Amino acid sequence: MAQGAGRDEQVLAAMLLPVRAQLRLAAGMSTAASLIWPMQAALVAWALAGLLGGNLPWAAVAGFAVAGVLRAILTYLAEGRLFEAGLQAVTTARERIVQREALATEGMGAGAVAALAGEKLDAVLPFVTRYAPAQGRVMVVPFVILALAFWQSWAVGLVFLITGPLIPVFMALVGMAAKDASKRQMAEVGSLNDLLVERLQALVDIRLLGAEKTVTSSFAEGAERLRAQTMSVLRVAFLSSAVLELFAAIGVAMVAVYIGFDLLGVLQFGTYGAPLTPAAGLFLLLLAPDYYQPLRDLSAAWHDKAAALAVAGELGLWEAAEAQPLLGTGGGVARLSGAAEIAVSGLRVRRGGRDLSYPDFTASPGQTLALLGPSGAGKTTLLRLLAGMAVPEAGQITVAGQALTAATADGWRARLGWMPQTPHFLNASLAHNLTFGRPADVTGALRMAAVEGVVAGLPSGLATRLGETGGGLSGGEARRLTLARAILTAPDVLLADEPTADLDAETAAKVTGGLMALAATGCSLIIATHDERLASRMDRVIRIGGQA
Amino acid sequence: MSALGQIFALIWRDQQLALLRGAALGVLVLLAGIGLLGVSGWFITASAAAGLAGTGAVFDVFRPSAMVRFLALGRTAARYGERLMTHDATLRALAGLRVRLLRATAALPYDQVVRLRGSQVLNRLTADVDALDGVPLRLILPLGSGLLAQALTFAVVWALVGLTVALWLVIGFVGGAGVTLLWAGRQALVPSRRAEMAAQAFRSRFIDLVQTRSDLAVYGQIAVQTQAVLAADARRQADRRTLDRIERRAGLALSILGTVMASGALGLGMYLASRGDLVPADAAAGFFAALALMETVAPLRRAVADVGRMGLAARRVNGTLAATPASATGQTGAGTGLQAVNLGFQRRGAAHPVLTGLNFAVLPGQTLALAGPSGSGKSTVLLMAAGLLQPTGGHIRLGSLDLADWAEDSLRNHLVLVPQRAALMAGSIRQALTLAAPAAADADLWDVLTVMALDGVVRSKGGLDFALGPQGTGLSGGEARRLVLARALLRKPLVLLLDEPSEGLDDATAARVLTGIRRFLPEAAILTASHRRGELDWADRVLNLS
Repeated sequence: MAQGAGRDEQVLAAMLLPVRAQLRLAAGMSTAASLIWPMQAALVAWALAGLLGGNLPWAAVAGFAVAGVLRAILTYLAEGRLFEAGLQAVTTARERIVQREALATEGMGAGAVAALAGEKLDAVLPFVTRYAPAQGRVMVVPFVILALAFWQSWAVGLVFLITGPLIPVFMALVGMAAKDASKRQMAEVGSLNDLLVERLQALVDIRLLGAEKTVTSSFAEGAERLRAQTMSVLRVAFLSSAVLELFAAIGVAMVAVYIGFDLLGVLQFGTYGAPLTPAAGLFLLLLAPDYYQPLRDLSAAWHDKAAALAVAGELGLWEAAEAQPLLGTGGGVARLSGAAEIAVSGLRVRRGGRDLSYPDFTASPGQTLALLGPSGAGKTTLLRLLAGMAVPEAGQITVAGQALTAATADGWRARLGWMPQTPHFLNASLAHNLTFGRPADVTGALRMAAVEGVVAGLPSGLATRLGETGGGLSGGEARRLTLARAILTAPDVLLADEPTADLDAETAAKVTGGLMALAATGCSLIIATHDERLASRMDRVIRIGGQA
Repeated sequence: MSALGQIFALIWRDQQLALLRGAALGVLVLLAGIGLLGVSGWFITASAAAGLAGTGAVFDVFRPSAMVRFLALGRTAARYGERLMTHDATLRALAGLRVRLLRATAALPYDQVVRLRGSQVLNRLTADVDALDGVPLRLILPLGSGLLAQALTFAVVWALVGLTVALWLVIGFVGGAGVTLLWAGRQALVPSRRAEMAAQAFRSRFIDLVQTRSDLAVYGQIAVQTQAVLAADARRQADRRTLDRIERRAGLALSILGTVMASGALGLGMYLASRGDLVPADAAAGFFAALALMETVAPLRRAVADVGRMGLAARRVNGTLAATPASATGQTGAGTGLQAVNLGFQRRGAAHPVLTGLNFAVLPGQTLALAGPSGSGKSTVLLMAAGLLQPTGGHIRLGSLDLADWAEDSLRNHLVLVPQRAALMAGSIRQALTLAAPAAADADLWDVLTVMALDGVVRSKGGLDFALGPQGTGLSGGEARRLVLARALLRKPLVLLLDEPSEGLDDATAARVLTGIRRFLPEAAILTASHRRGELDWADRVLNLS
């Protein structure tokens, strides 16, 4: 637990390392702004004391106003720098996540990683803009005010000296409770939201079962229970901050009453020889609240720190799960030259803690090949290996006469077509999903993939936006669209993953027909399948059983 | 703005008393703070004056010093009470709002509900509700109690210090803060809306990138899509910078306002005191009150930053709440059996219909299987038969009545559809089953589990109390399928609609499950969408839709 917390601190510190100088400067500016207040206090004391003495020191009033404006501007600038530094740190981390995930070959779910890179990382920002400067102020401002107090009156200094440390001590206790509290509170809110999300996802079933009333009332109970729990947690937090305020209030009240009695001449101690002057009394009174303020700011920002550490923890886990990136950059480059021949020898990968070995084989240009084997045998992995999207443990893949490496992978992929088992579509028009924005006539490809009629039947044809998994289309239609997409790049080799899985015989025949039409143009096919009928249409069958 | 008003009205109606009490305490907090600084300043200055005049011995120190202590402690206590009360009321109101949101969403028409599934709308709805806590806590209550505290301070300062100082304070603070907040709130609206849209673009593009990265890599599009993701984030950061600048400028303006007001109160007090209209202690009290009045406007700065986000959230929540429920009125028909006459369906805007001129009838005790390639409209027929989709041609009769004339409640009692991807929720097996039949006894549950060949599985996992995870995790695909079927059987429907009921089951289990369904519901009219041989053989008749 303690170790984990230490790691979170390290991740957070590493995240802020590039902007450390900026943060230090901004915290310094924020501290300087806080230190203007003692000057303003002195000016007010001068003005009021002058008034008591029958003078009108207008310069003090003007000085107070100028100093106040200066303080406001300094704070404004410090806040701007803090925000900029925080934004930079967060954006750097976000870019790192996006860049690595773009080339990753495996990893956490898309939703989870998008949440981490999006709203979760943002939680670091309040830590930077609120907690960090408060921390800077705490280390300077109370000590300066303490020194000023002792300079004027040892009694007031003593009040500060005794009540001040009570706050950090209490805050350490409160801090622990508050950290737990905010964590629990977050968890409660999270689980309530999960409940709602789950019920919303199951709405159709709930309606079909006539269970709306049951579900709403049980959800209402859950919501009420969680509210009660959240409140009991908040109560602790409010109580703690009330106690902090109480300490500060008692301190200020003690100082005020002492100064009042001293000025009246009732008390004869606490100063060095002469009694307090009216100016000194007013000065000390004005300083008192600001002695406690930095500590209260820090404790108010405590949950910002807890939230930032929680995010740092998740970021640390993401970093630790560093996965192998794919070969190359995934950018569009010129096609690799040479005959589209593939040769595989001694290939072995490690997957899920066990070794998968593949038989050696060669696929000459234009040949059609079925990779046949039970699920889990590593057919999909082999397709990914051949496309440079996974890296083998051992063995050699030669493509177009060259070894498949980071240098050749992009050029090799430019010659490939790809049909994944589960089609995913970008949140863009169907035309963009087929051509990726290149100008191209898609009619021929749609016809070859036997999907022309399907596109014609869509609400806005090629301009239709498909759901992320091709919502509005059947599984077979979505598959054939990925085939059309492959045909459009005039591939030399098509890699297809289970193109006929979960399809009825008729639809499977249509997909197979499209594949054979593509093969007739001279394109090699490498098809992972457990459909014996599809396999029998290929020139060769390579059985993958995992036997080493 | 009106959207925020509507949300606050909802929260207010729900929690009027608690919010009123909280607001009253909020005013007390502010007043105690103003009083505390005012009295302390007056006390010190007055004691100094008495000390200088040599009348210290007769000066009444006890009342002011007791007042300082009382105000200090009172403010702390009032603040604790205020926070507790307003947070509790807000949380109660938001819990209620979540329930209403669930109810309103449940009443949406089927085609809209389906689009919710798996999309971000869900997360947004929940995030939206979270964002709304700021409406009472950071916007309306501080604004209301701040104004009230200003008004009361005006009266007190007028009575004790004088009209000039009182007017200076109230006009300056209310006017200055009002102008600042209106300006900032208006400036923030557009960038906060744009930042929100950019955030959504970032999220959906990034999810696209992660989900399709293999495809993108093969087609050389990784760099392009990565740039698109980062461009969305850059747009968002630019808008957030603008927002932050607006918020900081508002803060700067309020801070300068505070300084100007305090210096003004000090100068005014000095001038009036020099003319003998005021004693110096009263002048000091005016100045200290001005310092403390900052507390009435400073918290509003946070609201400025949030107001755009809250407005968007409020508009979406209002939109969902305003959704009109599906027809609640209707009749209860008699008789059983399902009959389709000249049924047709065409998606809105599509060039070709999904199906036309379909006729069939299923009598009690009969099983009809709809066959045909994927895309031929089997599932669409089931959705129409369940009353979730309206046919665009012909009609479906359930018993003696047209389907459209049935009341929702009694329709659901007569007919159940098990869709292809039926959903399970977190909870025990018992909860999953009694969702369909709240009154069922454990023996009934075991009965139906046995029929679905699930009794062994459930027993081996520890019985009916075995807890499923979110979305029913903890069961294999085939087990989840059978649990969903068992749940539907418990409704004992007269018409059972099944979309590929044995999908994901091996042949032996599929056969056992199908036989079990018929044995459990001998009198039901069963309509299935099927492409498995086993299901087609099990049905009495097969209707090919190709």
